[in-house]
Amino acid sequence: MRRSGQPETIKELIPSRLDFPPRMLRPLLLTLSIVASPLTANAGDVLTYEQHIRPILKAHCFQCHGEAGKREGELDLRLRRLIVAGGESGPTIEAGDPDASLLVERVRSGEMPPIDKKLSDNEVETISKWIESGAQTARAEPESIGDDPVFTTEEREFWSFRSVHRPTVPKTSNTARLRTAIDNFILARLEPEGMELSPVTNRRALIRRAYFDLLGLPPTPEATDAFVADESPAAYERLIDRLLASPHYGERWGRHWLDVAGYADSEGYTEDDPPREWAYHYRDYVIDSFNAAKPFDSFIHEQIAGDEMIPPRSGDLTAEQIQNLTATGFLRMAPDGTGVGGVDQDVARNEVVADTITIVSTSLMGLSVGCARCHDHRYDPIPTRDYYRLRAVFAPALNWKAWKLPQQRRVSLYTKANHEQAASINAEAAKIDKQREVKAQQYIERTLAEELATLPEPIREPIRVAYKTAGKERTTEQQQLLKDHPSVANISVGSLYLYDRRRDERARKIDVERKAKETRFIEETQKRAGVAVTAATLAKFNPEAAAELKRDAEAAAKLRAEKAADDLKRYTERAAAIRADIPRHVFLRAVTETDEKTPATFVFHRGDHQQPKEQVGPGGLSVLEQRLASDIAANEESLPSTGRRLALARRFTSRDYPLTARVIANRIWLHHFGRGIVNTPGDFGVLGDRPTHPDLLDWLAVEFIESGWQVKRLHRLIMLSSVYRQSSQRTEQHDSLDPDNKLYARMSLRRLESEQVRDAMLAISGQLNTKMFGDPVPVMEDAVGQIVIGKENLDGERKPVNPIALQGEEFRRSIYVQVRRSRILAELEAFDAPEMTPNCDRRSSSNVAPQSLFFMNSQQTVNVANVLAQRVIDEAGIDVTRQVTRVWRLVFGLRPTAEEVDAASALLQQQRELLGKATDRPRELTPETAALSTLCQALLSSNRFLYID
Amino acid sequence: MSIAPLAVNWLLGQEDASAAPFKPGLKRPTFDLQPKPAHKPPQATAMVSLFMQGGPSQIDLLDPKPALNKLDGQKFPGTIKYDNAAQASSTVLGSPWKFKQYGNSGTHVSELLPNLSEVVDDICVIRSMHTGVNNHGQSIHAVNSGRIQRGRPALGSWLTYALGAETDNLPAYVAMTDPRGLPVEGVLNWNNGWLPSLYQGTVIRPREPRILNLEPPSYLQGDVQKNYLAFLNELNQDYLNKNPRELELAARIANYQLAARMQTAAREALNIEQETAATYRMYGIDEAATEEYGKRCLIARRLIERGVRFVQVFTKNQYWDHHGSIRSSLPASCLKTDKPAAALVKDLKQRGLLDSTVVHWGGEMGRLPVIQNDAGPERVGRDHNTYGFSMWVAGGGFRRGGTYGATDEFGHHAVENVVHHYDYHATLLHLFGLDPDRVVYHHNSRAQTLLDKQPGQVVNGIVENAPLV
Repeated sequence: MRRSGQPETIKELIPSRLDFPPRMLRPLLLTLSIVASPLTANAGDVLTYEQHIRPILKAHCFQCHGEAGKREGELDLRLRRLIVAGGESGPTIEAGDPDASLLVERVRSGEMPPIDKKLSDNEVETISKWIESGAQTARAEPESIGDDPVFTTEEREFWSFRSVHRPTVPKTSNTARLRTAIDNFILARLEPEGMELSPVTNRRALIRRAYFDLLGLPPTPEATDAFVADESPAAYERLIDRLLASPHYGERWGRHWLDVAGYADSEGYTEDDPPREWAYHYRDYVIDSFNAAKPFDSFIHEQIAGDEMIPPRSGDLTAEQIQNLTATGFLRMAPDGTGVGGVDQDVARNEVVADTITIVSTSLMGLSVGCARCHDHRYDPIPTRDYYRLRAVFAPALNWKAWKLPQQRRVSLYTKANHEQAASINAEAAKIDKQREVKAQQYIERTLAEELATLPEPIREPIRVAYKTAGKERTTEQQQLLKDHPSVANISVGSLYLYDRRRDERARKIDVERKAKETRFIEETQKRAGVAVTAATLAKFNPEAAAELKRDAEAAAKLRAEKAADDLKRYTERAAAIRADIPRHVFLRAVTETDEKTPATFVFHRGDHQQPKEQVGPGGLSVLEQRLASDIAANEESLPSTGRRLALARRFTSRDYPLTARVIANRIWLHHFGRGIVNTPGDFGVLGDRPTHPDLLDWLAVEFIESGWQVKRLHRLIMLSSVYRQSSQRTEQHDSLDPDNKLYARMSLRRLESEQVRDAMLAISGQLNTKMFGDPVPVMEDAVGQIVIGKENLDGERKPVNPIALQGEEFRRSIYVQVRRSRILAELEAFDAPEMTPNCDRRSSSNVAPQSLFFMNSQQTVNVANVLAQRVIDEAGIDVTRQVTRVWRLVFGLRPTAEEVDAASALLQQQRELLGKATDRPRELTPETAALSTLCQALLSSNRFLYID
Repeated sequence: MSIAPLAVNWLLGQEDASAAPFKPGLKRPTFDLQPKPAHKPPQATAMVSLFMQGGPSQIDLLDPKPALNKLDGQKFPGTIKYDNAAQASSTVLGSPWKFKQYGNSGTHVSELLPNLSEVVDDICVIRSMHTGVNNHGQSIHAVNSGRIQRGRPALGSWLTYALGAETDNLPAYVAMTDPRGLPVEGVLNWNNGWLPSLYQGTVIRPREPRILNLEPPSYLQGDVQKNYLAFLNELNQDYLNKNPRELELAARIANYQLAARMQTAAREALNIEQETAATYRMYGIDEAATEEYGKRCLIARRLIERGVRFVQVFTKNQYWDHHGSIRSSLPASCLKTDKPAAALVKDLKQRGLLDSTVVHWGGEMGRLPVIQNDAGPERVGRDHNTYGFSMWVAGGGFRRGGTYGATDEFGHHAVENVVHHYDYHATLLHLFGLDPDRVVYHHNSRAQTLLDKQPGQVVNGIVENAPLV
């Protein structure tokens, strides 16, 4: 019984991409599939050391035999002639005879390399073939070779390191579909394969695609109708321009950038993952920058070196200073554990620096530079030294030897006026504080008197004097006296509440005694007067006794009424209410260079900060150096700072820098089409994919640069192309020739991203709160550990107490929801929201059962469906056909067919009957609303909603 | 670290083939809950941990100390490590309860645990547990996730990461919470730490809906949901017909069917109505005091039968934290749990499952031999003690019968055959056929393991078959 029956697997239905290696071998796409294994040869190649063998040896062997002066067994493998010369064990290869070659023997037997990661059979085979074919080189080898890294021509000429040139726009046979040059490039690649572009998609699909793409939100039914009805040829272009002008555009495209920047509202690094209070300024800066169409080169400059571009602070920060400092928050996005106790500070600081370099390099250089932190990059020509040269650029700002903790490095946004206002409000509140103090002293006197009254007369005065005497000046007798009478000794402002309780007890005691007295008085009076006496008539027969009882009652009431702590609390609250008007003290998270001395940067042996070796100055990748006009100076005299980051930022955006413009253009393409021209957007190196359309990528990069780095212009170029406007319909030809749509003979069907799912559900149900910017909407754990929107309110043992109302904040767009690295909002994570460790250069798009269960069962979906149902009733009335039409238009942007109306009406009727009988249906839902809600839920759960076609 | 996204995250691992239709070029490791072979033939393949949060008093339950009863009411003749100094006293509190020996093994059991005394020959009492950190939170993490710090993966996460589960329509790792609230440290008790979130424990709640997101609100269950799903299926089929070559759309339709199957499977597993009256009686479901806990223990057995790898049944917040009134509250805690816990052992045994299923009973600490809160016999209690405490283990290769290790004559410090939390973990991994160094996860450039380089040793004295050295 333990092992339940094997369920039907859905694997049969869904082929994994990895299940289809044969596709890779189709001749058509051979050029696109060289990523399969970068280190083995294709059949028919002439094998040379530089092209085929060196990359294998670099990946597996150089670390001990060549790199950084290492020559284990006297063997250096970095040149063919050194290999032939061999080491302690004699010549390493015997050209023409692989079986007699030590190299082959050692790697084939697995003796070398002496670690777990052995050469693959293919790699061994390649080496063997190379030796067999005479162990050739591509060209004469250098005369001498030092310990510095050597770059081969192959490495220098790697595609992404070559300068960007404007390619010729190719001619195509089909000219009818040419709208922008993009169409030429795509068609020119399709035509030799016998393929062409798919037809233009319909207008409803097109507007939905454009809305989700640019705004991350669905079009309203009214916008869709207007677009469909507009027959002008310029209608589409006007639509794109309108969308590009919407403030929601920055929320959508800013989100893409926040992924690569690794934006989070928490520090990460430790398991505490404490919140990062002021990170949101950077998020808002990014949204603002996209909306304001800030040229992307300025956007880069500000983020890398905004502080170096502004005059130093004097007095209030100007708008420009605030903006530029906020931008440098980019360099503060890395997880940072240095503010948490108990971490090894040196390790934590160096991790911040390393993660920052990872973020900069994957986002702007498209290279996994981080691999060179401990050893020369195994595949790309990035020696360890280059890594530390890059680190030296950031060292003056991120100086691990003179580190500022997160709390110390905040930049205050308080103005002089703020300070003055705060001071005057504080002065006002201080008056209340003073009154409270006076009052407190009175209460202490009162309490002292009351407590003394409970003691024998003779010792009252000595104790009073002892209490009044300052602690240090008390005599031994006085000290003893107080020790014996703690109820006096303990009187203080802080303990008054305890004496209030004692007053209560006294009042209770008086009451009890009074009750007894009353009975006694009544009995006595009765006996004396000989008539029936009650409490009410006691005064008539015994006025003295009645008066005594009255005095007792008053005394008890007085004890109860004058509570010191409550009264003092009212003063405290009044002072707090006044102080509440003090302008909030807001801070920025920024990078600045404030140290007197510029820190030295060393190469860390094996990445270990405790083993500094050679000192290096600032720089970039040596392999690119000869292409570049400018150096990165160690210190720019004209600036108060070193200017290193500014120089790097300008280098990134200079015309001769090959990487950044390509990387950004590729990202923009990726987000429009669901795949990049280089489909590893963070890795343009040897292990990354090669571009499917290298010329198109360069053309886009050049257009981008020459237009002044205008992102919106690139959107227009792409979205106005015929390629973008194609139908997503797959054909048999597509499936057989290009199943992954690498050639763009159709649009790809795409699943909504996590934020789009949530935002669209809120928008469609009419709940979306479009408020922009500011403090993040908080997330918390619910009772089972699911992360939901809400303000955490836990007691000391982590038990949740009273929920806190969010007042509409819970309906804001997902970009404003707190990104707690360890606590990603459940409904976003279910749809692949990224985990920022430290950033995300490519999201995945999964298709798993929890997503189905989210739609089927979650309270979130049910709530949205209920609200949507009410909206539909409000807008369409009670007529079922009108209701169905309305919900169809709201969710799909379509009118339902007659059959769909019939089917939906039938569903509504069935559900109404069932729900009418359901006794556990929430009271606020009529059977009609509840039934309509299930229809709404079905539409929101459906693929037509979840996918963009 | 990743805390759970959806409550039904365990479903993530079921369809790895479809998990990433757009995969980046570099292959990333994939994670799933498919059953995986152990490193050597395992003795245990599943585990139920009955976690007694708060710290049951070992000297009143499983570790009799006659010396204390002789000194009852006198000053303690030694040094005590207190937690709460304000209420500390050095007055010895002898156990108010009587012990007797039971079974062939002659294990001493307190009169507070009459049902446990019936299964002593199937369990091994460890009397020398030690975590050495006197707070609940830290000690819970030590016992349950290997280190005193928050944020590391729980034992159940490690086991399911290493071994997957023998079921694909139930969670691999289940946490069953008490209706009166979560234990100290709340949801961190079943947290996956930095392991992928599909290794987080899935909470089976003490009331409906037992699994969150697995069922809609009650009024939408049954035919209402069937109609909704049928209509949704029509919509999706129609859209697939318009895009017939999109396998992703077909996969999503299949996912709805899979989700519905999981609902059925979970509903079946959680439905104890089919159990016999004798079973109900055995677990005490027919008695008010044991009904609720008995049901959860019975559900635990049903889950294990159906291939769930690890089930942890929690008591409420500080259920065993008897700082005061121990004379009345300790018997109450025992009454609720004794019968169901013993029933679980008996029931697994009679079904032939005990040999391969570990049952663990214990908390994060024990208690001190002296009085805390000296406010009269009815009000006294005992403070924390993590330097020597008891728990029992059974099944899955643990020794049948007997005790192991010893505390000093007053039950304060473990002094003989001390079992640190990491020794207990090393022993568990051994019984599951796992090599502690090979159950490894790379996080923050570190190879992380459950033992985390602590010197954990398999405790030969508590297993049936000691490993060959």
